[in-house]
Amino acid sequence: MDILPQLIINSIIAGAIYTLIALGFNLIYGATKFFNLAHGVMAAVGGYSVFYFAKTLGLDIYLAAVIGVLITGLVGYGLDRLVYSPLRKRKASNMVLLVASLGAFTAIQAIIAILFTSQFKTLSQGVGTQRIFEVFGGVITQTQIIIILAAILVMVGLVLLLYKTQLGKAVRAISDDEEVARIVGINTNKVISYTFFIGSAIAGLAGILVGFDTGIEPTMGLSLLLKGVIASIVGGIGNIYGGVFGAFLLGFVENFGIWKISGEWKDAIAFALLIIFLIFRPKGIMNK
Amino acid sequence: MEYLIHLAILFSIYAMLGVGLNLVVGYTGLLSVTHAAFYGIGAYATAILLTKTGAGFFASIILGMIVAIAVSFLIGIVLSKFKGDYYALGTFGFNTIVFAIFLNWQSLTRGPLGIPGISKPELFGINFADNLNFLILALVSLGLIYFISRFIVNSSFGRVLKTIREDEEAIQVFGYNTLYFKLAIFVISAAIAAVAGSFFASYITFVDPSSFRLMESVFILAIIILGGLANLRGSILGALFLILLPETLRFVGFPADIAAQMRQVVYGVILILLMLYRPQGLIGEYKL
Repeated sequence: MDILPQLIINSIIAGAIYTLIALGFNLIYGATKFFNLAHGVMAAVGGYSVFYFAKTLGLDIYLAAVIGVLITGLVGYGLDRLVYSPLRKRKASNMVLLVASLGAFTAIQAIIAILFTSQFKTLSQGVGTQRIFEVFGGVITQTQIIIILAAILVMVGLVLLLYKTQLGKAVRAISDDEEVARIVGINTNKVISYTFFIGSAIAGLAGILVGFDTGIEPTMGLSLLLKGVIASIVGGIGNIYGGVFGAFLLGFVENFGIWKISGEWKDAIAFALLIIFLIFRPKGIMNK
Repeated sequence: MEYLIHLAILFSIYAMLGVGLNLVVGYTGLLSVTHAAFYGIGAYATAILLTKTGAGFFASIILGMIVAIAVSFLIGIVLSKFKGDYYALGTFGFNTIVFAIFLNWQSLTRGPLGIPGISKPELFGINFADNLNFLILALVSLGLIYFISRFIVNSSFGRVLKTIREDEEAIQVFGYNTLYFKLAIFVISAAIAAVAGSFFASYITFVDPSSFRLMESVFILAIIILGGLANLRGSILGALFLILLPETLRFVGFPADIAAQMRQVVYGVILILLMLYRPQGLIGEYKL
């Protein structure tokens, strides 16, 4: 097993996961213009929903995954209806929304820990049963291939949604200028709630896939959120393609960064990348 | 009685943290979510100095402050270029990194094992191992910090900070370099947090990384938002409230680990409710 092909494969896998988080995050940021920190904990909601339906209730794993994605979407939608939407109506500042999302993040994460304990759990059916493929001298598991495919599918689906449907048009109009969108008769509040559903569902999918690949724990959302946010800022916040580009750039920088030093420093490397971009190009690669 | 003294000591430590953070968040309007990082730096400075060398508690406070000042200066140079949500995000990431350093720099911090056996201070023949004496020492320190902070916010320097909060561009027009002011108050607040950290390490006689994760920063933020932004007495009130509140949960009789998570739920919900219904907190003078 060569190290270089493996590093490239690992980078692509990491990039695919960050893509999923960044896509949803950017979608919501585009429509609302605030940093929704609760986005990270949605991944944990998705992962634990599947854990509950598949392992506790014994449902079919694919059915459980579909239910998990829907539940996560509903949690995101509910959070918007209960907390963000009333705040938006009151014209609350971005800071207020950010603090509220921080509160939601803290509360939901703790509720998951109460329901399922803080222990690390895995979603896959047992160790060593996964099929393993060799590609150019590197190793990749079946789950990891699904992760990459899912990222590509979700990205294509989101682009089609944004550019080929009525809803997508409305979302883009709101991203450009919410007030004008409202004037021309778009029910902005409703559309924003839908983006919360879609964005959260994508984050839930990411959490489920991570759960099959490595495992789930209540605090998993924080690190995923940070990576998704860093990817979004590096690529260009609110820009779908930028988020994807940033996600893969982050995946590569992180995995090649730990070529020579120990793996625990991944987070530090990711943060260093953020600092470099904040200093030299705070608007990201894709945004002018 | 011992139990009340214990709560009072915790209260004074968190009141110090709150007063320090209010200088940045309340008076300057910069949403910093990294206070636990500097709190941890102070705690680890005391822990390492007291267990590895013969130096005293008060020398370790000075050391903790120096390290916190140096670190906050470096990261502050980057952060001070920003405001609003980008500032919040940068601090958010920084806390995660400092936590990773506490966890992974094993040769210095012993990683997840933590550092036990930190001795209690002694001065002029008074032994502060007695909790009542320690409480008095902590209250004296809190008083000092309170008066220094009050002096700062009432000085012309403090008025510049408040103007930055209200309209940064306007004061730049008058020739003030706002970057220096934002950097200065961030460094002062970090130094205050380090003092609180030294007290914490010495009182608990044990430190490990888990006390300084992001959720601790959120807790301190909840203290000052609940008490009231831009009001130093508000921070003290907030600390009193949030230290006593979870103690009532204890009497309800939850098991220890669930009680800890219940606290997180309560803090999160408090943040959301405050944002929805009273963004200025109990006696605050500034809304986010």
